Amino acid sequence: MPHADGDSLTVLVIDDEPQIRRLVRNALGAEPLPLDTERDGAAPASAVRVLEAETGQAGIDLAAAEAPALVILDLGLPDMEGLEVCREIRSWSSAPIIVLSARHSDTVKAALLDAGADDYLTKPFSTVEFMARVRAQLRRARRAGSGGTSAVVAFGDLVVDQQRRRVERSGEPIHLTPTEWGLLRALVTHPRQTLTHQQLFKTVWGNVSGDAQQYLRVYVGHLRRKIEHDPVRPRFIQTEPGVGYRFEPDGGAA
Amino acid sequence: MTVVRRGAKEPALRGSVVMRWSLWLGAVLVATLAMYLVRPSLDKAHVTLAFLLLVLGASAAGGRALGLTVAGLGFLCFDFFFLPPYNTLTITNPLDWLVLVAFLVTSAIATQLLYRANATAEAATARAIEVDRLAALGAETLNAADAYEALQAIAGVIRASVDADECDIYLYGAEDRATLVARAVRPTADDAAPARAAASSFDGRGSLPLAVRTGSLIDWIVERGTSAVELADGTVRVARGSARQPAGSTASRILLDDPLAAALQAVTHRQGDAKSDVLEVSGDDDSGPRGPSAEPAVRALAFPLRARDRTVGVLRIASAASLTLSPEQARLLTALAYYAALGAERARLTATAERAEAERRVERLRSALLTAISHDLRTPLTTIKGIAEEIRDGADRELAAVIAGEVDWLDSLVGDLLDLSRISSGAVRPALAVNTVDDLLGAALRRASGALRGHEVAVDQPADELLAGVFDFTQTLRSLVNLLDNAGKYAPPGSPIDVRAGTHADRLTIDVMDRGPGVPETERSRIFESFYRPPGVPPDIRGHGLGLAIARGLAEAQEGSVRFRPRPGGGSIFTLELPAAPAFAPEAGRPSIR
Repeated sequence: MPHADGDSLTVLVIDDEPQIRRLVRNALGAEPLPLDTERDGAAPASAVRVLEAETGQAGIDLAAAEAPALVILDLGLPDMEGLEVCREIRSWSSAPIIVLSARHSDTVKAALLDAGADDYLTKPFSTVEFMARVRAQLRRARRAGSGGTSAVVAFGDLVVDQQRRRVERSGEPIHLTPTEWGLLRALVTHPRQTLTHQQLFKTVWGNVSGDAQQYLRVYVGHLRRKIEHDPVRPRFIQTEPGVGYRFEPDGGAA
Repeated sequence: MTVVRRGAKEPALRGSVVMRWSLWLGAVLVATLAMYLVRPSLDKAHVTLAFLLLVLGASAAGGRALGLTVAGLGFLCFDFFFLPPYNTLTITNPLDWLVLVAFLVTSAIATQLLYRANATAEAATARAIEVDRLAALGAETLNAADAYEALQAIAGVIRASVDADECDIYLYGAEDRATLVARAVRPTADDAAPARAAASSFDGRGSLPLAVRTGSLIDWIVERGTSAVELADGTVRVARGSARQPAGSTASRILLDDPLAAALQAVTHRQGDAKSDVLEVSGDDDSGPRGPSAEPAVRALAFPLRARDRTVGVLRIASAASLTLSPEQARLLTALAYYAALGAERARLTATAERAEAERRVERLRSALLTAISHDLRTPLTTIKGIAEEIRDGADRELAAVIAGEVDWLDSLVGDLLDLSRISSGAVRPALAVNTVDDLLGAALRRASGALRGHEVAVDQPADELLAGVFDFTQTLRSLVNLLDNAGKYAPPGSPIDVRAGTHADRLTIDVMDRGPGVPETERSRIFESFYRPPGVPPDIRGHGLGLAIARGLAEAQEGSVRFRPRPGGGSIFTLELPAAPAFAPEAGRPSIR
């Protein structure tokens, strides 16, 4: 579990380029990260302790020894594949991993997410964007630790009752097929998190491969047409091009 | 004229043979009965003539066997019913013997003569068909738009001509490896298609080890320039000798020499005569010559195709049952192999020409690239450097925003250049999947939102139908975003931009329609060229001149296209066209999974 000693937060940066490490360190140190965003006002500012590793192996060792609350991982490491580092750390740590990459293909991105990464940023990125992702991941990790979501969740005019398997939009019940329901539940229970096509497929169909996988996007299309007002400009189910889908619970508030 | 075909027609043929025999034998009996009724008023000559006519008719219609049978039956009926003493086979008058024997001999000679005439006519027909086939193949080979299509046609004709189960043509080309380029297989009973073409892959036929072995055998044939026959017991016989022709020894015409003749001998002469030029090797290792043992059936035959004194490919014919060729088929195969060699040579030359063309394109691109790097990259770098120094010297920090803007510009240029080099080197590997238009339009509008700012964007697509296509999502997204960017950039601020999606037959189309200045007639052929910039563009519209080239290149890499046409009433329509997805009914329950 990510931990914070007193009011300090440990972040591990694995990158062989000193310039990028400096950039990340400065960004993380420039403004205090709130430890608890749930209770506004009472958020104590936390000092950020930044650990740095130049190689994948050193990064894995540091992650094991220090149990950081967040890992920033660059893909172009000299000693090993970023994908391997990601998989290794994820096998025993639940700390969020944000990957930095230079123009890698979407298949690589999808493979990283499948290997346990939580988010990725493509270089060149702005520090504003970077810090937004860091905050989102810390917030999500904290929520995941605070117990499950309730059975009935409302997103604007969309109400999802997980226990009774019912979905309503503006008070009108929506009929979903079992597959559409499976997709929606997978997305709703992982808010703001990109689920790859592979992950979605596994969640809904289990460990089988078949023709249905081809049509995953078509199923999502049908689901979207039932719960979104404008399927081309969706509020809830966002497309991550070439990677997968992401559920935006705040979309309903807009 | 009846043409005897082997194979599928046989059952029908047999049925008609039985019919014919019954008909003619029945005719003899009917004639006998008719003459029997008027026997007192008939002379022996009448009866003889009537039977002789029947024999001639039967020989003409049914061949020698039927003619002789009818003659025999006539002989018996004549003796039994019309030669005294009646209703016995005994003959008292010696002159009657003479009449009977004369009848029999005349019948036999007439039958034989008719048979010979027929056989000559049939041979002539077969020759005519052969010539027709060669002529048709020649025309087809010359007319085929694509060298590979021509090879496919040749493979089909060869397979049908020698009545084999399959015919493969391997091309020995650029990569110093023989690759399967054409395959014709015998249509199966429930598959009425003429010849299923499976390009360059072993589709389910046989096990992989066999395919691998066939592959290495083909390479071996190319290397040694000899032919080989595969036997039913799994061994391979290779023709000895004639290893490599000494270079430049013969004229530069297409030649097909000893290897084929040796292989044909193995297939046509199966009488166990001296196999002087054939030696046996085991399937996997060269364990040297062994004595010829009992003869297993030949399953396949492979021989090199030679053109201009070099091996350009390998032809392989195979049958599940034993493969035997009649002398006619062997002769035809020899002739057809010339065409196969010509076709293989043409495919090789085409590939060479295409490579040269690709190299020329890359060269053109390289020079354009150098211009781009020197100008388009250096200008923003100069700006960045200048502003960084100004800030160091105490200038307003707000200027840093300009640096960020220039960096974004550089980043997009680097991305475009990478895409362009990937497209022009043919390195785009589309990950094809079934994708929805909802997804594509949504992501494209979001990504192009910067360029589309200030424009009213209307999306028009069928409300009750979920459009889907088979395409690579990321590449298509980039293609569409470039079209939207282009529209947003050149159309005047505030003008509407319409996006319309639909399907036409099995194609998916997405139109991006603007009310911009359009494209003058003279420029239309050039707008998709790399680094093209329209003349007279205001300097505040920045572009690399790569957007449309990339949009088209990425679409074409996945069987799609991007086209321009002027929009009625002013403006442009850019149409992105892609393969539509096959219809898919959303499930009632779970989708069926194998």
